[in-house]
Amino acid sequence: MLSEPVKRELTRIVAPENISFQPEDLLCYSYDATGRRYLPECVLFPHTAEEVSLILKMANAEGIPVVPRGAGTGFTGGSLPLRGGIVLSTERMTTIEIDADNMVGVAGAGTVTWDFAQKAESVGLFYPPDPTSLKVSTIGGNIAECAGGPRGLKYGVTKDYVLAVEVVLPTGELIKTAPGKTFKGVVGYNLTGLITGSEGTLGVVTRAWLKLLPLPEEKRLLVATFDTLERAGKTVIEIIKAGGFLPSALELIDGVCLKAVDEYAKMGLGGVGAAIIVEVDGRREVVDIDMEEARDICHRMGASSVDVAKDEKRMKELWSLRRAISPALKRVGSLKLNEDVVVPRTEIVELIRGVEGISRKRDVTIASFGHAGDGNIHVNIMVNKDDPEEVERGEASVGDLFELTLRLGGTISGEHGVGITKSDYIGMELNRDTLELMMRLKRAFDPNNILNPGKIFKEEGVGV
Amino acid sequence: MKELKDYREEIERCVRCGTCRSVCPTLDTVRRESHCARGRLTMIEAYLNGEELGERYLKYIKECTLCGACYTSCPNEINTPEIILSARAEYVKKKGMPAFTSFTLKSLLEPAPLTKLALKVAAKLKSLFFKSTPFESGLVSRFSLPVVGEGRLVPEPADPFFLDRAHIRRLATREDYGRMKVGFFVGCGVNYLLPSIGEHTIRVLEKAGINVAVPQGQVCCGIPALSMGDSETAKRVMMKNIEVFEQYGFDRIVTSCATCGHTLKDIFKVVLSDEQGMKERVEAFTSKIMDITEFLVDELDYRGEKTDKRAGVVTYHDPCHLRRFQGISEQPRKLLEESPYEFRGMKNPCRCCGLGGGVSFTNYELSMKIAGRKAENIKKSGADVVATACPGCIVQLKDALYHHDVKARVVHVVELL
Ligand SMILES: Cc1cc2nc3c(=O)[nH]c(=O)nc-3n(C[C@H](O)[C@H](O)[C@H](O)COP(=O)(O)OP(=O)(O)OC[C@H]3O[C@@H](n4cnc5c(N)ncnc54)[C@H](O)[C@@H]3O)c2cc1C
Ligand code: SF4
Ligand code: SF4
Repeated sequence: MLSEPVKRELTRIVAPENISFQPEDLLCYSYDATGRRYLPECVLFPHTAEEVSLILKMANAEGIPVVPRGAGTGFTGGSLPLRGGIVLSTERMTTIEIDADNMVGVAGAGTVTWDFAQKAESVGLFYPPDPTSLKVSTIGGNIAECAGGPRGLKYGVTKDYVLAVEVVLPTGELIKTAPGKTFKGVVGYNLTGLITGSEGTLGVVTRAWLKLLPLPEEKRLLVATFDTLERAGKTVIEIIKAGGFLPSALELIDGVCLKAVDEYAKMGLGGVGAAIIVEVDGRREVVDIDMEEARDICHRMGASSVDVAKDEKRMKELWSLRRAISPALKRVGSLKLNEDVVVPRTEIVELIRGVEGISRKRDVTIASFGHAGDGNIHVNIMVNKDDPEEVERGEASVGDLFELTLRLGGTISGEHGVGITKSDYIGMELNRDTLELMMRLKRAFDPNNILNPGKIFKEEGVGV
Repeated sequence: MKELKDYREEIERCVRCGTCRSVCPTLDTVRRESHCARGRLTMIEAYLNGEELGERYLKYIKECTLCGACYTSCPNEINTPEIILSARAEYVKKKGMPAFTSFTLKSLLEPAPLTKLALKVAAKLKSLFFKSTPFESGLVSRFSLPVVGEGRLVPEPADPFFLDRAHIRRLATREDYGRMKVGFFVGCGVNYLLPSIGEHTIRVLEKAGINVAVPQGQVCCGIPALSMGDSETAKRVMMKNIEVFEQYGFDRIVTSCATCGHTLKDIFKVVLSDEQGMKERVEAFTSKIMDITEFLVDELDYRGEKTDKRAGVVTYHDPCHLRRFQGISEQPRKLLEESPYEFRGMKNPCRCCGLGGGVSFTNYELSMKIAGRKAENIKKSGADVVATACPGCIVQLKDALYHHDVKARVVHVVELL
């Protein structure tokens, strides 16, 4: 319980209109895209890094848990206030500056990724990281989870674009990890890299300096359908091996997903075994050649249909269809155990076979889709939440999946992070000493364990 | 009417993906989770589960413009605006409605002779409360008036009201209906505030060979009452309208108000769903409704005279209730191509103007902030005229453009034909 003096002090720091203790507001900050719910005791909407610093100093002194939150689209419970306390929303920290000559953008943590990318685009620049949630998620949330998306294959993920971050440490100090406008810099440890992907457990990001690229001149996109997922997977590998170019996106979608999303989008992809989306970008003279090549490969690999998008409007439609897959899976099962494993690219077909095996063995529906070009597949185990026995089989399947992934040389999470939903499994991938080092780092940053406690690591061994 | 608990399954379909955050005009302005469909649905679910919620619950569900942007973008097709209407009705049923709102609503929607008299007296005294503006013909309230608020630009009330005009009364029935037997549903916006839209609707229809009838006795479509949670009044006015129009045996009933159109086509079915023996009557009535732009293009294939497009530049704002709920966006644009104006699109034409859902009454400041974005886009389009197809949007856009000093006229599409 927050004491009256603490409440008064917090109110003084951010002003009364930027704080709430009302049940309706607490409810609105109790969930994320996992659908789980934990009520905070207070929500704060700071505008500046200085306010964030004062909040953390106070929380650290009083031992109050603080959970940073962007748009609440996380898939692993990162922004859930497990132990009550404060939810610190970055929704009001939305400044954007673009330094076109240096090709650097500076964004407030709460800036929506799409808004930032659009702003860059308006001056001919390109911010590639594109989590499928990009129209909603924030730059701060993307950095905290090191989000990635379809373009990861060619352009990399969030960490490849973060030049520096301004961070408030759990003990309240305000630091900046690098100069920001230089693309290089090796003075001291790479704290930028450490903060990126730290899931809001090491500090609150307030601002970020982000690298921009020249905007590609043109894009082309095709959708090819296949009778089996395996054939689609093989085609993905073949395109990268034999194409002689890196597509700007190479997505794989299985039949279960296509059926679910087609009920919403009604684009006639309902009865198909699997599909891939291939996007290429670059200079006008090259994109058509690359697209031609991709089309040939699809035909050669036995595609049932190959459809090149005729204009920008169609491309947009296809991308919004792709973005709707994850939420639309609700139609398949009331509970979605959503995993985002990654394997070395050449193992994709093995992974697909293995997943089909798990589905048969455990008798559960599994829906797979994802950024297959870089080996990242979202494997969704769909179960009926009211059938405890089925839920149990689903959970066992998650264990099977992780074992399979690690055996193939992969990782159990490519972009969603560990949060609370994967903390049970982290020991499968990291050995005891590695984990112990990570926990020592956490203690060094956050001696009183007030910042996003209970995330990533299970309780034992951490701070308090 | 469908009760809130009947929506439980639909509400539980929400997976909290947050997609709706990217399209909600209220979230964009307020930047708090309480102002998007995901937050509102969570509160409504908690309310249904009997959790303790206070005043802010009502405030947040009332500050939704019912624009439907969340509905069209939701991968699980959750009709949040309909759920919110139901939640408001449920709240009012339980807690009652503030006496003032209840009184004004009832007297405006089901005008008794006395209310009409009062409105007329008020019209005569208007200079006391309003100052007129030089640019747009309109009135700006001098101080905070009930319902109207302070500093709001409102069109000068019709005098006499459209339906009371002698020549309109004469159109209650027609000897010769022309190509098709069509009736005109007028709606409050046209009747009380923007009668010229009604006059133009009749003119354009006549030009196209339709002698439309304007039934007397028709009343408000019911959505203002329902927006305030008063489902009983809504139900009564809806029944009354069906009774009035039924007697004619029209082939089509047209309206030039996007909101009325959506209400008559869709919301009637929701509100009257469990009225004994009404199913066929409601079905027969709703299936005849067409928006004027839809009717002119789809039924009549309307063509204007060839012109050199020198009259000026026109842009178009999509009313939420026309585009999202009725799927009508091409027709008004086609009609503008038939006008003497050059057409130029604006950025984000289908973004809500901020008036809807009663937000302009419950939170005028929020409503105007939403409209401010619209005003910016209109300014950037460089158009001299903004055409749209809803009296509500027109009132709101005039107000917003006045406050942002954008000198563009706002009209209904039919006024340019
Ligand atoms: C439909 C859908 C599709 C998705 N697709 C993808 C995808 O393709 N790729 C992908 O990588 N992810 C994807 N995600 C997951 C999610 O969108 C990302 O993890 C995203 O980066 C979260 O951003 P957010 O602003 O919503 O953060 P939140 O969910 O609010 O928070 C996520 C984590 O970041 C922390 N955090 C937030 N802001 C800060 C800050 N300023 N400082 C420190 N920590 C902070 C929080 O404490 C939490 O641990 C998807 C989610 C959905 C719902
Ligand atoms: S888009 Fe639909 S499913 Fe997603 S959070 Fe909004 S209402 Fe819920
Ligand atoms: S109807 Fe419009 S204002 Fe209301 S929640 Fe949906 S998008 Fe937001």
